[in-house]
Amino acid sequence: MSSAPSASPPNHPRPWEDKNPVVAGVLAYLIPGAGHLYQGRTAKGLIYCLSILGLFFWGQKLGEGMVVYNLPEKTGPLRYVALSYAAQLGIGASALPALVQNRRVLSDTRANKLTGPLSAPFQGTLSSSENPEGGVLVGTVKFDVVDGQFGQEIHGSFEGTLDGQPTKLELGGGRFEIDRPIKAGFRRMLHCNVVESDTKPNTAPRYIKGSIPRPFINAYGSPPDPDQLQEINGRLGKIYELALVFTWIAGLLNVLAIWDCVMGPAYGFGDEHPAAPAASRTTATSSAPPVSPQPAATPETGPASPAQKSPA
Amino acid sequence: MLATLLLAQANVTWYMLPLALAISLVYSASRYELPEYILGRALRLFLQIVGFMGGAFLILWFLTYGL
Repeated sequence: MSSAPSASPPNHPRPWEDKNPVVAGVLAYLIPGAGHLYQGRTAKGLIYCLSILGLFFWGQKLGEGMVVYNLPEKTGPLRYVALSYAAQLGIGASALPALVQNRRVLSDTRANKLTGPLSAPFQGTLSSSENPEGGVLVGTVKFDVVDGQFGQEIHGSFEGTLDGQPTKLELGGGRFEIDRPIKAGFRRMLHCNVVESDTKPNTAPRYIKGSIPRPFINAYGSPPDPDQLQEINGRLGKIYELALVFTWIAGLLNVLAIWDCVMGPAYGFGDEHPAAPAASRTTATSSAPPVSPQPAATPETGPASPAQKSPA
Repeated sequence: MLATLLLAQANVTWYMLPLALAISLVYSASRYELPEYILGRALRLFLQIVGFMGGAFLILWFLTYGL
């Protein structure tokens, strides 16, 4: 793929010196590759964007959206940002919501309670102790909080299909469990009793068990519960750990991209002539990179010409 | 035997290839500016990583043979 180095390095333009480095750096941090696109370095911008964001979101998908979260320790140096999240934070805007979500979860006092009307599409089962498997329910649930004889009660209804047949159910009757609104995972668990209109003797009470969608803004970046982590670790096994590794590496790779965006490439353009003394040991350096590593450039000067550098 | 072992590890091991490719591309892009050099260096680094991993895999497979 690479061709032989030219006899003398061409006078390449240095686009990273033409644009505001602060703006470019901030853009590169927020969206991998965006800083390079701002500088007009389209090919590199696309390489960074596709590689880093691709790796990050692939990890997110493998971990079912429960890999990027901030659960810092109570005390000590990691009481603000967990070490795992610190690596992911390098990806920028894609990981930043987790900082806010952690605070939202801690300040959310509506744990497992319904405080107002709720209407949402539902997927789950209709079961009873006699028939734990139950039938498949698909439809819409509606709940409302009303003042009852003994305080606030939750009444609701289900309208949809049971194993493909149209069904209506009245819900409530004491048992009502629902996941917290802000939590990891894009489905919110729901468990509720069915109010039977004509109770037959010796009939086990029925209940619905399933999930409703959790809005993206409440799920993305939210920390999972310990039981969620245990469940997903047990179910996905090594894949979950791999998903974490993908997001960590993506965040750390973006540090390289930010550096390149602000300071330019570490070794140069790639087609520079090897340093002069290397000519006397052509055989020894034939498999070496065409350019000797050079220190990163200062913002004022940019990377120095490799031809002016002595070999490492 | 080796093919069976590779297939048995398919769930995790094969994920390393795109990971190595992404790392190679980003690392090379941070070293060089010209796209043809980035791609050339990335391909070489990718093959080095995969070769190293493959070598480590073979050594471990040999050491655990018959266990």
